[in-house]
Amino acid sequence: MFGLIGHSTSFESARQLARSLGFEDYAEGDLAMWCSAPPQLVERISLTSPTGKRIEGAYIDSVFVPEMLSRFKTAKRKVLNAMELAQKNGIDITALGGFTSIIFEDFKLLREQQVRATTLEWQRFTTGNTHTAWVICRQVEENAPRLGVDLRRARVAVVGATGDIGSAVCRWLSQRTGVAELLLVARRPQPLTDLQADLGGGRILSLEEALEEADVVVWVASLAQASTIDPQRLHRPCLMIDGGYPKNLDTRAAGEGIHVLKGGIVEFASDIGWQMMEAAEMANPQRQMFACFAEAMLLEFEGLHTNFSWGRNNITLEKMDLIGAASLRHGFRALGLESPAPIPSLTSA
Amino acid sequence: MPTLETTKSADSSLDPTGPVEGSDLPDFTTDAYKDAYSRINAIVIEGEQEAHDNYMSLGTLLPDQAEELARLARMEIKHMKGFTACGNNLGVVADMPFAQEFFSPLRNNFQAALTEGKVVTCLLIQALLIEAFAISAYHIYIPVADPFARRITEGVVKDEYTHLNYGQVWLKAHLEESRAELEQANRENLPHVRRMLDRVAADAAVLHMEKEDLIEDFLIAYQDALTDIGFTPREIARMAAAALIG
Repeated sequence: MFGLIGHSTSFESARQLARSLGFEDYAEGDLAMWCSAPPQLVERISLTSPTGKRIEGAYIDSVFVPEMLSRFKTAKRKVLNAMELAQKNGIDITALGGFTSIIFEDFKLLREQQVRATTLEWQRFTTGNTHTAWVICRQVEENAPRLGVDLRRARVAVVGATGDIGSAVCRWLSQRTGVAELLLVARRPQPLTDLQADLGGGRILSLEEALEEADVVVWVASLAQASTIDPQRLHRPCLMIDGGYPKNLDTRAAGEGIHVLKGGIVEFASDIGWQMMEAAEMANPQRQMFACFAEAMLLEFEGLHTNFSWGRNNITLEKMDLIGAASLRHGFRALGLESPAPIPSLTSA
Repeated sequence: MPTLETTKSADSSLDPTGPVEGSDLPDFTTDAYKDAYSRINAIVIEGEQEAHDNYMSLGTLLPDQAEELARLARMEIKHMKGFTACGNNLGVVADMPFAQEFFSPLRNNFQAALTEGKVVTCLLIQALLIEAFAISAYHIYIPVADPFARRITEGVVKDEYTHLNYGQVWLKAHLEESRAELEQANRENLPHVRRMLDRVAADAAVLHMEKEDLIEDFLIAYQDALTDIGFTPREIARMAAAALIG
């Protein structure tokens, strides 16, 4: 059985979701109440791969909302309690979605393996970052040519280059895709220099410099700095893959010739018949989902009950090959630009 | 990969490099600590004493289970002695009149149900609510307890799970005929648990136990028990809301 740990994008949307799922009492509660509410297993899911293999899973809402980020203990407890609930339900492989894996990594929850009577078994969990990185690379490779961008001559900026997903994307784009030049952007200088050495190339730039030069921007960093984007100074055409969380680049960088694509989103071959992706504001919620969630499904399809994506900077090209092949085999495809290329003013929907 | 550094608020508790919960121990020797401990310790001692009495009483309603219930009751007395030793170890005199009054709403409801022969209500109050309350409090207490109390409390938690489990097993086997009474008893008694948590919050905070943690941990234990008994997540959320909204 596979599991997905997710959460709402805001407190208000969480209340609406609670109401629609029949948790009216929770919907009426204030944020303080939600801080004390336990995680909920809200939905059972089953899906069938084009290979004919059928798998069962469950969606767990951690009852975390981004408004709790400033409360370290609350955020930490939400993540650990949701993971405990997944394990207690006997789920073999669970993806940590949205802020869940970010909180797990940044708050160093590896130190907190004991949750009440449960010793968390890390092999039951995956960040899903390998599949996310593979999907983002695929989105670059498939969509840049559609805008007339030849990747062999293109400059690709990776914002958040030293992160788990960012560094994997850099490795893939330099070794497999053969982009002309990688522009490396991140906050801390030392990891950037290390990454550059590891890649054997790439140019370290500030965000502003990189955005001015890039034909393609892969955004896998926090958006706190994104308010500085000046759409007038972007290259045209410019493909922007919004692989961060939450996804709101389209509201910050809009304009003629700027094509923003939600990064790390996949579409399944058939309707799944679930409610949860409605809450994630997917364009086609019956088929679309975060690639990290799909990774848990893929590991279940493949019988790989292991923490496939775990820790930071452990994503190898071989692992991306493996999960990518499974993704194609089981009917997932990376979200692409609509055809013909959308009018930018309509892409914010 | 996004990080939280850029979304960090001014809240200084949001420090990923800070100490692991549990290494942040209170000063057990201060008057403020001992004062708060005199009430918390008394609640625990009284809770274990009442649990003993309640399991013995349940034995009169379920004569074929009397032996097992007497065994559980003996365990509670052992716990009571352990917690009494914790107070002595810190040189604290437990405020027993406070604790007796603290438990009176649940005790009165238990006694009323006992008189009417309502096994389901008695089990909900003792084997689900009070046990879940105790387990959550002990879980939150263990990381911030003094070394002596920590060792004792860790031993107690293992036993308490068997008590929660006893109520679960019986109610699961009798769910259909018990459902209405369980829901009614939940409505009447869960708000008392919420008020008890509110009353104890200030003293618990002195012991570095936070109310938010206590409520969530209690609800997880209670939710787990109700899930095992056979309620659906939506039914449980409705039942549990009484504890959250208060």
